[in-house]
Amino acid sequence: MKDLKYLYYFEKLLDEANNELVRRAKEEGRICIGSVCSLVPEVLLSLPGAFTVRLRAPRTGSIDMGTYYMTSFLCEYSRALLERAIEGGYQFLDGLVAPDACSMINRAVENMELLKTMPAEKFFYRYMEIPMKADDNGLSVYVSESRAKILTPLREVYGIDTSDEAVRKAVKVHNEICDLITRIGEFRKEENPRITGYEYHMITLASYVCPKDLLKDMLEETLEELEKREPDSGKRFRARVVVVGSEIDDVDMIRLIEESGALVVADRFCFGALPGREVILLNDSEDALTQVCRHYMYASECARYMNREKIDGRREYVDRLAKEYHADGIIYEQMKFCDYWAYERMVGSHVLREEYGYPVLSIERPYAIGSSGQIRTRVQAFVESIEIKKLGKKGGI
Amino acid sequence: MGKKIGSERLGDLYQPGKKVRKRREWRGVKDTLYDYSRWLHTMGILGKFMLNKNNVKAFFRYRWMLNFLAVPMMVDRHTAGLRGNHLRIAHTEYDLVVEDVAKLMANMFRADKNTGNDREFSKKLVILDENEMSHLLCGFPNLIGVGREIPAVYVSVLLQQDAVCHYIDVAQEYGLSGDVCPMPEAEAGVSIDDDYPIFGACALQCNTTCDGSLMGNGVIARRLEKEHGIPCFQLAAPIRHTEDGVQEYAAQEIRNAIKFIEDCTGEKWDWDAYFECAKRFNAETRERMEWLQMSTTEYPQVIGANLALYTETVYMAIGGKVPAFLKADKKITKLAMDSFRKKEMIVPEYRHRAIIWGVQAQYYTDFLPWLQNCWGILPLVDMLSMVSTRMISEDDPKQAIYDMAHLYENMIMRNRTHGGYKVLLNDLWGFCQQFHADMVILWEHMSCKALDGMHGLFEEQAREHGIRLIWAVHDLMDPRVVPRASLRQDVNRYMRSVLREEPLDPSLEEIDDADSW
Repeated sequence: MKDLKYLYYFEKLLDEANNELVRRAKEEGRICIGSVCSLVPEVLLSLPGAFTVRLRAPRTGSIDMGTYYMTSFLCEYSRALLERAIEGGYQFLDGLVAPDACSMINRAVENMELLKTMPAEKFFYRYMEIPMKADDNGLSVYVSESRAKILTPLREVYGIDTSDEAVRKAVKVHNEICDLITRIGEFRKEENPRITGYEYHMITLASYVCPKDLLKDMLEETLEELEKREPDSGKRFRARVVVVGSEIDDVDMIRLIEESGALVVADRFCFGALPGREVILLNDSEDALTQVCRHYMYASECARYMNREKIDGRREYVDRLAKEYHADGIIYEQMKFCDYWAYERMVGSHVLREEYGYPVLSIERPYAIGSSGQIRTRVQAFVESIEIKKLGKKGGI
Repeated sequence: MGKKIGSERLGDLYQPGKKVRKRREWRGVKDTLYDYSRWLHTMGILGKFMLNKNNVKAFFRYRWMLNFLAVPMMVDRHTAGLRGNHLRIAHTEYDLVVEDVAKLMANMFRADKNTGNDREFSKKLVILDENEMSHLLCGFPNLIGVGREIPAVYVSVLLQQDAVCHYIDVAQEYGLSGDVCPMPEAEAGVSIDDDYPIFGACALQCNTTCDGSLMGNGVIARRLEKEHGIPCFQLAAPIRHTEDGVQEYAAQEIRNAIKFIEDCTGEKWDWDAYFECAKRFNAETRERMEWLQMSTTEYPQVIGANLALYTETVYMAIGGKVPAFLKADKKITKLAMDSFRKKEMIVPEYRHRAIIWGVQAQYYTDFLPWLQNCWGILPLVDMLSMVSTRMISEDDPKQAIYDMAHLYENMIMRNRTHGGYKVLLNDLWGFCQQFHADMVILWEHMSCKALDGMHGLFEEQAREHGIRLIWAVHDLMDPRVVPRASLRQDVNRYMRSVLREEPLDPSLEEIDDADSW
């Protein structure tokens, strides 16, 4: 297939945290609030006059300082973020809102604070309580925390308008981008998709780390381009897979899976679109803040939610995705040292294999995967096993 | 060898390659006889326990039951070197803890489908997490809260260092990563291995200490609900527990949990029963505060591992429900005050006053007696004992809900591992000042992300505060990863090479307890 016009540009944007669009928005006088997790409602950080960036540490090399402060037993993502912060890589931020959701990320941000890594004069840190169950009580704390830890500092420190009207405006912009990304993602359902998992990952990832409104024109153009795009004839892949698991912001991860013979048709991981890039529907009878929080709470598939409905719902959701996107198998992945996904991967891979009947590959991986031979071999073997199963079915074996 | 403290070369009692020691410690006629009487008392509890057919059945059904043969040895390990009142304080604590665990197990096996199968009795039991407060049961006087994980995992490792290695392996063979905390990992392993007793009207789970523990509950709840039809409630205690903004959320969780228990058991919450327990709980807290106050002076009396293990039992598992514990508390205070007045010491020389911070190696809780006996490092208080000392309401139902919420937020360990860096980092230096400590022994439980995440700042700030900091690296429940000898080596190296000190009891510096219980 012909390369997408903006693919190279999106890749360039992902090369650094302080990318071209971030710099442009800052030059326009907007304030930038960092976040480190999907559980912080990103739309509330993107009120008019502000924008948000989900922190990554692209092109991570040594994480020695991060390891000194947090030992080698914390996940590499948290160590890489701290390392980058100590190096001064996030000094474009005006504030950082972290959820106290996972101990490791929480500690990474606390280290950033205690080590005084952010020089901005009015810089603020906020640590949010995030509900652990999706219910009315959880919603009440989500709303009060969002108000106290996001809206109040935005208003009091930077004079940002945090009215209901402003929240609705932010949701509108957010929805426009999410709608575009969702429509682009729909092409992955095709028998011979006109977009690869890697391309889609680049587009989605860019939407988490750039001011969204500045991406809009490019996304619209990309959608138009895709509508006309002809997929290569003949099969370019040997198996369709859903990737499920913890944080993936490494551009090499999906590429490696696809180089190994699979096509990633659904991205059910942090920094993915499922969920994360669905539109937020608002009504006029209730305040926007409550509706936004409700949306994030019920849509989230984070392994941290501990009520049984959510736990069972996570596996049902993967099954639904696999059916909708016609997947042949599921790859459960987990970044090493991640407690939440260590358990979720273990149980989820058994449930999806034994109760739902999918071929499942279960892998642990580093933050920056590079060209890991081990993961490549495992994916290749998985693809082969799916092919053998298919052949077996055809031959009635 | 005699009644004087420090008169016995304790290291000579160890036998390389053996589970037990050469002989009992000689503490002079009076103390040895007293100590022996408590040994007989423990053996009596074990003997009585084995007279019950449910318990005998359980002994052959559950792999972890074998560990309980080591109960007398566990008490011996934690009373090493003690004399006089200090020996009596320790035995007062352990007598009750042993009795309480035996009672808990007897209840469990009476109700358990695999052993006693008393269905009516089973309806009166509510399953609790291992590391969970039990105050919600205070208002249900007809119900009994039972933590299945306490005997299967928590106590088992106290008794025998490699007790749960099998279950850790089971969980990993099932696909769990090897880098998660071994405690919830072992608890999940017992569930996967189908080695928990099955009973109860319902289960009350809680996000106790860490992310791993929250997730391990999901594995256990799946089996409880789907296979055994036992409904589970997940009580969400807020993480940012020091902030006012989360208290209403926490209180509502308590209300929801009470309703859940009422719905599952048909019992009604009883405020009179609750307040009776609250009064006792407050009285117990006052006793504990007396002990802590003594530890700020030159003559600490109730300290170290024994204080930690006893506090865990009284604060979390008992929560004012059992009058015998308050009686024991008062006895301990009386003994301690007597020693305090006489300026009695626990070891012959106090060279360093230490705060023990972090999460203890469960397979080596007697590391603290070793510190005091070998090097004269007095383990004044540990992190697990530094729990809430707030008085709870004894008559106001509205306030009581918030009190319970506060206690569930401030469960042992959780009150430090959650809630932001201030409760873990800043409070430590405050305690060093309060207790006049010159040293911190920092348990570095390698899979505890909340603690590891502050590693560098602990080091830097210890230097700033002029505190000697010794890391004691371990893997909580898996001595295969870090053996006991390695923990001692961490201290030996520091004491010799940095402080250039000689041990108080040189026989303890190098001991071979690799195969010991």
